[in-house]
Amino acid sequence: MSATTPFTAGRVGRRRLATRQRLGLGLLGLLLAIAWLTPWLHDADPARQQLTRILELPTLATPLGTDHLGRDLLARTAAALRLSLGMALLSVVSAAVPGILLGVIAGWRGGWVDRVLGSLADACLALPGLLLVLLLVAIAPGNFWALYVGIALVLWIEYFRVVRARTRVLVASPQLEASRLLGFGPGYLFRRHLWPELAPQVLTLAAFGAASAILAMAALGFVSVGLRPPTAELGLMMTELLPYYHEAPWAMAQPILVLCLLVLSLNLLAGRDPR
Amino acid sequence: MSDRLLQATNLSIHGEGVSIAPIAFTLARGGRLTLLGETGSGKSLVAQAIMGILPIGLGASGELVIEGRGYAAADGASRRALWGRRLALLPQEPWHALDPTMASGAQVAESHRFLGGLGRRRAREAALGDLAGLGLEGADRRLPGELSGGMAQRVAFAAASAGGAPLVIADEPTKGLDAPRRDAVVRLLAATPERGGALLTITHDIEVARRLGGEVILLRRGRVVERGPAEQLLSAPRSDYARRLLDAEPARWPAPPPPNTTGEPIVEASGLAKWRGGRELFRDLDLRLKPGEIVGVVGPSGCGKSTLGDLLLGLTALDAGEVKRAPGHRLAFQKLYQDPPAAFSPHWTLARLLEDLVRRHRLDRAAIAPLMTRLGLDRALLERRPGEISGGELQRFAILRVLLMEPRFLFADEPTSRLDPITQRDTLALLVQLARERHCAVMLVSHDPALIERVCDRRLVLGGEEAALASESLDAQAV
Repeated sequence: MSATTPFTAGRVGRRRLATRQRLGLGLLGLLLAIAWLTPWLHDADPARQQLTRILELPTLATPLGTDHLGRDLLARTAAALRLSLGMALLSVVSAAVPGILLGVIAGWRGGWVDRVLGSLADACLALPGLLLVLLLVAIAPGNFWALYVGIALVLWIEYFRVVRARTRVLVASPQLEASRLLGFGPGYLFRRHLWPELAPQVLTLAAFGAASAILAMAALGFVSVGLRPPTAELGLMMTELLPYYHEAPWAMAQPILVLCLLVLSLNLLAGRDPR
Repeated sequence: MSDRLLQATNLSIHGEGVSIAPIAFTLARGGRLTLLGETGSGKSLVAQAIMGILPIGLGASGELVIEGRGYAAADGASRRALWGRRLALLPQEPWHALDPTMASGAQVAESHRFLGGLGRRRAREAALGDLAGLGLEGADRRLPGELSGGMAQRVAFAAASAGGAPLVIADEPTKGLDAPRRDAVVRLLAATPERGGALLTITHDIEVARRLGGEVILLRRGRVVERGPAEQLLSAPRSDYARRLLDAEPARWPAPPPPNTTGEPIVEASGLAKWRGGRELFRDLDLRLKPGEIVGVVGPSGCGKSTLGDLLLGLTALDAGEVKRAPGHRLAFQKLYQDPPAAFSPHWTLARLLEDLVRRHRLDRAAIAPLMTRLGLDRALLERRPGEISGGELQRFAILRVLLMEPRFLFADEPTSRLDPITQRDTLALLVQLARERHCAVMLVSHDPALIERVCDRRLVLGGEEAALASESLDAQAV
């Protein structure tokens, strides 16, 4: 209602990160460092079994101990973290790019294009996401690419919807009409008018999307339909170590803790300040 | 019960970059007070402070006495129980205040039912009566989105006043309304003090203040410039600012210079017809615009003034008829918008936007500086973003952008209605002058007949079924 609040010249853009976002960014940076620095500092093969040294407590040689097959847990956790983060990035990019593209097209063109794309999105939404992934995995078991395509197929819809809704509003707005009358083409309109409005929402979605991709992969690994052993994967590690949680609780705790922190960091990053 | 309905002492508002100096006023039964001032002078905050709905980050201080009971202005929640029953606010933009998913009649009936304590059926009847009294027969089943701005304004008025509150605060009640409708709203508002209530109006429209009468407080940048009875302040102002403000009224503008329009018409339309929402906006409209000609378009809200411009620009499809544009570049047909900030992407500096335009069309950079001087635009402004300069400056920047395209036809859709009177006069004078120099035809839309009369060579009156409230004949005709 206070559309014309006097004197408060609205600062647009140049949004500063909130404390929680900085916290999330720090945590994510820490996890990234662990994932990629470990192979440099600690030379151990995550798949090498040493059956004489199973479920050992952390020592200098194995800083986080060993698992039930004597594999080095630090190396395995770092490898699983790399896999999860890589997977998250890949699925976010491959969901965001078609989602944004189709969303802009649907919002811009309207009419039958919008209806066809909207129905497609609704059709994908009709199936529960995890079920769709399970279906694809059943077709091609143990395949990383099937997993990735499945997760991307589920995730593109929310980008599509958010982008389409915003685009529709902007396309009808005077600012776009003015630029069009001044002779600017679609590329310019996207760069100057659409993207600055879409970017904050897309980035929030991307952070949440990364978290849910990581969770989905771990969940599939945990129910043994995701990646196959001996791959080091967070969900798979949990299942493998579950029978030994009495003897070696520290071993089981590692994939769980890492998953929690990873999802927490991404959610902190995504969550905007309520102001 | 006391005779004083509202008394404010030392009411001031402060917060992020805002300061309203302490003001004091008293409203007795039958009294009317108008806070007059340009956009951005902090008028609306006074209304929000009285209601207790200041935006977050702003605080009020001072004392309020409402019907004999004292309240601290700082404690906004303390007035909540009075809302609708003793204290009613007509919000500034009614289409935001109405529930978009609920029929208009039901929204008015709700007030009667829950504030007036009427039964369902009686509330419905009362609501229908209210709407009919405001010339809104048949609108009770329509959603706010299906109403024009003026109709939404009246529905909001009906809903806000249905509770029978004696103290009515109207925040810019006539914003965006044409003259006949504005006068109708003023009559509506004036009924409150006549019934024994009191009216506090906040407006930038001098004519509204004049018609309402009572006491006027003239505000500028959060300070009281002058106060006194309306007749005195608006006819013999003491302060320099008040004098300038009154001089800027369209009726007092100097007479327009005679038109010198020669050459072939730039736009020629014949037999134009357009329908919208099952309603005919106009039919058999013939129109010719010559270079350098300024044509005014007037008519009630929602009569298709903007649509006509979009038809001539080729932005909307025709239902019948033909538009012939002079051969030449399509970029020579340009538009100025009502709300300057809405016509710009808020994320980029003006320098960047200007540079984009220069690069896109390989414009001559040397032409920019003299034009900027002409338009009174400082170079330093270019480093700011559209939201960081005043509406007047931004509209002048929009004019600059448009003029760089060497337009032959310019559709100006109420380009100054959101500017304060002084800025409005200067901006329009400049626009007209530049258009004449450059042989650009201008179609100027305005709600204000006085303004059109002063600025334009010819006048085009559009009308429709909604013209019932208007006093003059409003058949579609080309004058």
